[in-house]
Amino acid sequence: MKYNKLYILLSLAVIASMALAACGAAPATEVPATEPPAATEPPATEPSVATEPPAATEPPAAEPSGIATITFTQEPDSLSPMYTSMWFSSITRQFWNQGLWTFDDKNGAVPILAAEIPTVENGGVSADGKTLTIKLREDAKWSDGEPFTANDLVFTYNMILSDKNTVNSTYPYADYVASVEAVDDHTAVVKFNEPFAPWLTSIFVSDILPEHVLQPVFDAEGTLDNAEWNKAPTVGTGPFMFSEWESGSHLIFKANPNWFVQPKLEEVFIRFVPDDAAQEAAILAGDTDIGVFLSSDQIEKLEATGNVKVPSVSSGYAETWFLNVNPETAHPAMLDVNVRKAIALATDRFSIVNDLLLESVNPVPATVWVGTPPYNHPNLEPYPYDPEQAKELLDAAGWIDSNGDGTRDKEGVELVLRYVTTTRELRKNVQAVVQQQWAAVGIGAELRNFTGDIFFGGYAAGGPMAIGDYDVAEYSNAPTGFPDPEASSNWLCSEIVSADNPEGGNWQGYCNPELDALLIEQASTVDLNKRIEQYQQIQQIMYDDVVVIMLWSDPDLWSLNDRLQGVRFSGAMPFWNSAEWFVEP
Amino acid sequence: MAVSSIKTNVSSAKVSLSPSALAVRRFRKHRMAMVGLGLLILLALYITAGVVFSHGYCAPIGQDVSGESYANCNDTSLKLRSPSAEHPFGTDVIGRDILARTVYGGQISLLIGLSAAIMEVALGALIGLIAAYYGGWVDNLLMRIAEAMLTIPNLFLLIIGARFFTNAIPNINLFGRELTGNVIIIILIIGFTSWMYVARIVRANVLSLREQDYVSASRALGASDSRIIFGHLLPNTIAPLIVSATLGVAGAIISEAYVSFLGLGVQGATATWGNMLEGAYRYLETAPWLWFFPGTLILFTVLGINFIGDGLRDALDPRSTRHI
Amino acid sequence: MTNYILRRIAQAIPLLLIISIILFTLMQAIGDPIATLGARIPPKPEDKERLRRQLGLDLPVFFIDCKTEKLSLSPGNKPSLGTKVGNILTNTDCQFSLYNQYLVWLVGNDWRMVDMDGDGLGDVPGKRLGVLRGDLGTSLVTRRPVVEMIADRLPNTLILMVTVEIIIILLSLALGLYSALRPYSAFDNIATGLSFVGFSMPVFWLALSLMYLFAVNFRRWGLPYLPTVGMFDPAVGKTPAELIKHMILPVATLSIISIAGYSRFVRSSVLETLGQDYVRTARAKGLRGIIVVMRHALPNAVLPFITLIGLDIPFLLAGAVVTESIFAWPGMGRLFIDHTERSDFPILMGILMLIAVAVVFFQIVTDVVYSFVDPRIRLD
Repeated sequence: MKYNKLYILLSLAVIASMALAACGAAPATEVPATEPPAATEPPATEPSVATEPPAATEPPAAEPSGIATITFTQEPDSLSPMYTSMWFSSITRQFWNQGLWTFDDKNGAVPILAAEIPTVENGGVSADGKTLTIKLREDAKWSDGEPFTANDLVFTYNMILSDKNTVNSTYPYADYVASVEAVDDHTAVVKFNEPFAPWLTSIFVSDILPEHVLQPVFDAEGTLDNAEWNKAPTVGTGPFMFSEWESGSHLIFKANPNWFVQPKLEEVFIRFVPDDAAQEAAILAGDTDIGVFLSSDQIEKLEATGNVKVPSVSSGYAETWFLNVNPETAHPAMLDVNVRKAIALATDRFSIVNDLLLESVNPVPATVWVGTPPYNHPNLEPYPYDPEQAKELLDAAGWIDSNGDGTRDKEGVELVLRYVTTTRELRKNVQAVVQQQWAAVGIGAELRNFTGDIFFGGYAAGGPMAIGDYDVAEYSNAPTGFPDPEASSNWLCSEIVSADNPEGGNWQGYCNPELDALLIEQASTVDLNKRIEQYQQIQQIMYDDVVVIMLWSDPDLWSLNDRLQGVRFSGAMPFWNSAEWFVEP
Repeated sequence: MAVSSIKTNVSSAKVSLSPSALAVRRFRKHRMAMVGLGLLILLALYITAGVVFSHGYCAPIGQDVSGESYANCNDTSLKLRSPSAEHPFGTDVIGRDILARTVYGGQISLLIGLSAAIMEVALGALIGLIAAYYGGWVDNLLMRIAEAMLTIPNLFLLIIGARFFTNAIPNINLFGRELTGNVIIIILIIGFTSWMYVARIVRANVLSLREQDYVSASRALGASDSRIIFGHLLPNTIAPLIVSATLGVAGAIISEAYVSFLGLGVQGATATWGNMLEGAYRYLETAPWLWFFPGTLILFTVLGINFIGDGLRDALDPRSTRHI
Repeated sequence: MTNYILRRIAQAIPLLLIISIILFTLMQAIGDPIATLGARIPPKPEDKERLRRQLGLDLPVFFIDCKTEKLSLSPGNKPSLGTKVGNILTNTDCQFSLYNQYLVWLVGNDWRMVDMDGDGLGDVPGKRLGVLRGDLGTSLVTRRPVVEMIADRLPNTLILMVTVEIIIILLSLALGLYSALRPYSAFDNIATGLSFVGFSMPVFWLALSLMYLFAVNFRRWGLPYLPTVGMFDPAVGKTPAELIKHMILPVATLSIISIAGYSRFVRSSVLETLGQDYVRTARAKGLRGIIVVMRHALPNAVLPFITLIGLDIPFLLAGAVVTESIFAWPGMGRLFIDHTERSDFPILMGILMLIAVAVVFFQIVTDVVYSFVDPRIRLD
């Protein structure tokens, strides 16, 4: 008798679970059949060639439909461009807060709210490089229908500089911009103190605030810190507009009817998945269309599913060894350029890349600017793997193993270097491999790992790099203004960190007057060819002096499910063409 | 004759055993405890004598190595090989032999597990006993301290320990192996953050025990406090203590895996079963040998200790219903 | 009894204060919140200084503030308090300051002018009311009120953790009891074996394995499958059915591991109780087995179990850090670990003080319940 009951219960349970599972299937969607907007041409000589703005006026063939799901491994701090510089926040702005121009998948500039990219030829850039005249699109509108005007630019400038707002960064407006004025509703003039070479990647690129929404808030509260708009920016400029943000869970953007290009998707759903392995499982199961920050050892497994591709896009990042050459804190051996050269020669970065990563995706570069062509030096090759020569150099420098313990020494000091990095699995593995490679030439390694917030902590917080408690520090770095090559604060003499200058950005303690002069000069060189030449010199000096040792190029690896079409990732602005994305039926 | 018959009677009478001898006998008869003991002896052999398996040719160094050097020998061209004759347990992400790493890793994991468990049980039992026996403000103070400790997340302590004390504690040399100060920190932190549970349980137990008649009787007879605590209350609270201790060892070994998962585990290239599991995390499907072997070893350790714990509890409990 | 409760509540206040001081101090050693504000792009030095000032992080941390200076290794240095930390020589200098970060956290700063523009003079009145007036502060990372952020996450955690706790209690009692009633039988041995397997698995490993099996592989094999991550499917929306479906794997993960440990405990406890004389007497009296167990043995056996559960309940608020991270469940555990990585003190203090209050409260409850269940216990 009781077996009957059990049997019924069991079958009910099975049926219930099947019903639940069936509810979970994603609904099929229609695909509107419109042409994608006019393609952009690859840059001829300059990286910042003006191209056609996206075609605006064709009426859509069908209503926007379909949902694209993206996983983020970190939740944005804030959506407001003023209060965060977080990457995960700035990339969402390509959906809802596009700026004057964006950067396509070839890192060429594409005008969005600007009518055209200002150049010397069209009079946008003055001859002396100190004045920028920006013409805005006449039909540009905010998502609530209000027109977008030059007053919004002026308002943004004033808000960033106001000391009533606790903004994250005032770069470059505080130090480099003299004034921003609205000549008329559709023309703005930006004046610089000195010719400012990185203007294309840093002036109003995607941080424009709506004056008509926020000016009243500022007037009423005296600050924008607590504005509702920071948490729920319903008014923006982009093919999508903000719909919902549930803390810890998801972000939703819906199609913007007031944008001059009709998006094909109805909704973009961003889910926060902090764990890498869980993200991988979600990609494999098809629970997400776009995944972020994959590593090369996942490519094979993901592409084996048959409906996932892993495009790789350079965003200027390269895994780099920063060598401590500060005489007060570094191991005495580090101050000798021949020892640094020996370290480079003793490390087989090539087999590390071949075995632990993918040579096609992460080749070993020669300099820091591998990801920002055309500034990259064309002729420099990375130091080869030559342990014999490393041994010779070390012998010549006076480091010999006098006490037979396997590590070299000199004047009673053992050649044991502090090799520090974060706790990422890949880096810990590289540390173990490198330790063994160095041991073969007699260099000892003390391996230390720190969590991110401690590793990158400042001088006051006792961050290991900032206080100089390291010899070789490994992490992935890119020029801050990608695709602009600007990265000077790492190596300027004036930026050396110390008790008197705790916020200095030069944690290596490197000071070379020749390099210093070049770094300062390039920041105001507006002539592209001249700037390229200066960077070649910069790279040659850094290469010869072994200031850094490059490990591998670190492009962004995305995962893309075939269900979502039309996506072309860009290095600087990954989601630049979200209006063209559509979902397969 | 009468004398010889008396002698026979005496010799055929049962000899009465002392309580400890009785306990040992009961333990030996406990089937699962013997299985557990066997498992632990095998494991102890594995991590000590197993070092003889740790030898081979290390291509990057270009010579034969043995011992811990072999366990740390990484040859990236041999990465992620499934079990084979040369590497019976396969190789890991950078080509290290997993068999050798489980041997050396076991040494550290068991060290951490046992030390942390001993510390947590000793501390917890002591505090629980004293708090329950004396009651009043002593009880209050100790339990409030326990509550305060409960609210401090061990994540914080781990981060702080890793940050400030890793360099301050020198490397220790234990049985020929050089251990970083990190290991001590992990043991201390796991111990310091787990004693509260043992203390609560012991206290709860002793609170009911101290009202028993034999306790008042002892006091009436003039027994000192420590005699009552250690002589009467402690033995009667043995059962939950043993269970806590056995769960504590297993918990400490697993905590070490959790600590490695958060990136705060044993530093350097040293293996432990916990950080081997953590390294296997992203290769769950693609390289099951990475987690299978350390996981199974952890399982055997947990099983062995728990069976022994069962046996000990039965053997030491004077009111146990198990017949000899 | 009432006296006891009142006394305990009175003791709770200084206890919580001390706990808050300890936690606040520990917090400072976790890391530098400004360092992670830029994520991929670190903020410029001038911006860092400005942020530090505007967020109130340039104040000394506590009433007694010790600054440790890194000295160079040149021979002429003779520090008064020298300590060797790694290769760096340090000098420590301590000062007393009334106006510090802890004070601001506790009582706010609206009674004082705050220096916003860095000239050393106060400009605007502070905006913080302090914890004692109910203002837990603002997150350094998101600039949103801490109370709001916790309120967002708490329901999600409670849905998960309360379900888990109920399942744990019911199944541990059932399994433990049944195992104890038939010790060393086939059922007991299998249950023991399985619970050891469950107990030997670190939570991250179990979580991912379940996810791979039931979400990824079942789907591949054409069987009815579960979702991998999140609380709901965007195409369907946030319905109760979706929530339940997405809850199954995280609940299973957390339950399996705890049931393993707790059922062993219950089993051992019941076994010991069953060996007691009064149980034997009850049986000898002719009472039916089930009554003996339920009315006589079980209440005494579950006392240690009650202690454990009592210790667990306040931590339901804390969520489960690893499980929530892996299943992308937006709960308190996620909030805690995400913000620990960013050294976001206000949020961390908010969460920890919430838990501290819960711990203190539930300890009082447990002690009182305990004294009711076991009449032998006297609470002085």
